[in-house]
Amino acid sequence: MKTILRTLIVRLFSMLVTLFIVTALLYATVMFTPAENRATLYMPRNVSPRMTEEQLERMLDRIIEQHHLNDPYPVQYYYWISSLLHGTWGYSPTLQEDILSAIIRRAPITAELTLYSILAFIPLGLLSGVIAGSRRNKAADHGFRFTAYVATSLPPFILALILMAFFYVELYWFAPGRTSSSFGSFINSDNFRQVTGLLTLDGLINGRPDITIDALRHLAMPVFTLAIVHWATLGRVTRATMIDELNQDYVIAARARGIPEGRITWRHTLRNVLAPAFTSSLLSATSLLTGVFIVEILYNFHGVSDIAVRSMADTPDAPAALGFAIYSVVVVLILMAVLDLIQASLDPRLRERA
Amino acid sequence: MSPVRRFFSRWQNLLGLFLVTIFVVVAITAPWLSPQDPENPGPIKQVGRAIDFEPRSPQEVPPLGTLSSQISVYHAVVWGARSAVVFGLIVAIFTALIGTLVGAVSAYFGGFVNSLLMRITDAFLSFPIIAGVVLISQLITTTLHEAGLRFFKNVSSQQIFSNATSSFYLEEELPPFLQMLMNLDPVLIAFILFSWMPYARIMNTVVRRTRNADYVEAARALGAGHNRLIFRHLIPNSITPMIVLAAKDVGGMVLLQATFTFIGMGGNSPWGMVLVRGRDWIITQGGIFTYWWVFIPATLALILFGIGWNLLGDGLNDALNPRTQ
Repeated sequence: MKTILRTLIVRLFSMLVTLFIVTALLYATVMFTPAENRATLYMPRNVSPRMTEEQLERMLDRIIEQHHLNDPYPVQYYYWISSLLHGTWGYSPTLQEDILSAIIRRAPITAELTLYSILAFIPLGLLSGVIAGSRRNKAADHGFRFTAYVATSLPPFILALILMAFFYVELYWFAPGRTSSSFGSFINSDNFRQVTGLLTLDGLINGRPDITIDALRHLAMPVFTLAIVHWATLGRVTRATMIDELNQDYVIAARARGIPEGRITWRHTLRNVLAPAFTSSLLSATSLLTGVFIVEILYNFHGVSDIAVRSMADTPDAPAALGFAIYSVVVVLILMAVLDLIQASLDPRLRERA
Repeated sequence: MSPVRRFFSRWQNLLGLFLVTIFVVVAITAPWLSPQDPENPGPIKQVGRAIDFEPRSPQEVPPLGTLSSQISVYHAVVWGARSAVVFGLIVAIFTALIGTLVGAVSAYFGGFVNSLLMRITDAFLSFPIIAGVVLISQLITTTLHEAGLRFFKNVSSQQIFSNATSSFYLEEELPPFLQMLMNLDPVLIAFILFSWMPYARIMNTVVRRTRNADYVEAARALGAGHNRLIFRHLIPNSITPMIVLAAKDVGGMVLLQATFTFIGMGGNSPWGMVLVRGRDWIITQGGIFTYWWVFIPATLALILFGIGWNLLGDGLNDALNPRTQ
């Protein structure tokens, strides 16, 4: 337990260092735009549309003065970071609200999608990798490798089109969007308590299992689309490690002692396979987040990706873009830390180094 | 077995090479396969009246039919191959170059330089590419906006810039910096900036392992300088994993570009544009195959492109890395 605590602290520290580097680089990129543009980051939310050009200009000048936007880079970076820590993420003109509250409101929707995908792809990826690896060159192995190949070469939007054509249009099992329209207004009303923000859980908490089932129906296709690529990657890594492990001396020794093959696979080698498998999941944390955003857009989930989509519309919206970037990095770092902790608890050798 | 023999001994590698060759040949011969419309060059070509809404089948308009507004599918798929090959190669080559340089330099000098550069690499690794695309295009838009330029998105999600006061395209009157910004593809820039990290990491490990090898020691003893050691000895000896990764990246980046085009976030992938325009005709009353030509050719092109480069990468890996056998 003590070692895990130490891992946690070391992780947290290196997370802060990464965060510092990312924000420093981000602000360096932002510095390429003129000071007047950066001033829009601090524009108050209620700028009267009747303000004259001159008044606006004077206001911009005041903001530039106030936030030291003409100062050297380290000074500006310091002021920017401190305003971020105070919750001033800027007012987004396209979303018509503060970017931080916009993100917080949408985050549970994205979290729900990510959570179910992780819960789906990690066990299934490990399972199929172990099976394929232990039955190398048999039918199961060939089947897995072919499916994994197609899965990694198939762009998510084509998969989404295919899934919608069959499961939505033909069979009507699943549907795009987050909820059915009949539940939409009820969920947003005061009668529905949003405890976790996750619809599947909130439905149960409110004693409405029909809402949970409806939410699951809407989650099925996006979760599948998101999970399949990561399933394929994880499965491949697991398969390769499994093949390596089954050639190790301790396996031969176990076979010689007459231990059944199934027990060797599932008891002896599985533990050694887990560590590299989690490393691969760890490295795909970033692509998992990009994937979530793309899947949200494809299936009309108005999660955090909404901010990205709307800020890509006609007006320049630097606060939204920056807020989105910072949010994404923070989430990836948290995700990596969690997976890292799981990995450390599985492999005692990693606890020491961290 | 020599690497070449080993490469040609597996049918998967041959298939990958075959697919990639086809795409490259189509990319080179595109002007002959499907001549451009001289008045309106580009991957989108009209072969009928634009007001004709319904897509026409391959029987009516050979060889592959049209999309709605009578845009030739064949033309877009052929010129899409050129765009895909060019885009994929540019991204792969630039990311490989940046990554190799960062990885090699940091590993070679070691110590403080190494830990600083590798921390920066880690920081980039935690940056999702979609946030990069949003950020870069917003920064470009903001800068152009400040210069009095407004931009509109047209149907095929290409950006058209125009002056705020008139709707004319005032290319000559712009200062060179703004003109450069206008012609930049934010997706291309973001892809290059946010995907060099795996190269740097691999390069770093490989170079750190070979730095102390005997032949490098020998070269150093002979008086070779930093530049010579890095460029003549370390990079050539660790190039194999780079090539494998780059080959796979060509396919992956083009698929990602098409995805961004499809969700309307820029990236002018012609294959993606065909699917954007075709999506409304996929789910129709007569089943999804009534208008099969609006999505099957572009989809197949994308998937085969991805599979081809992936197979090629795997094949190169097997051939050049005897250890994985």
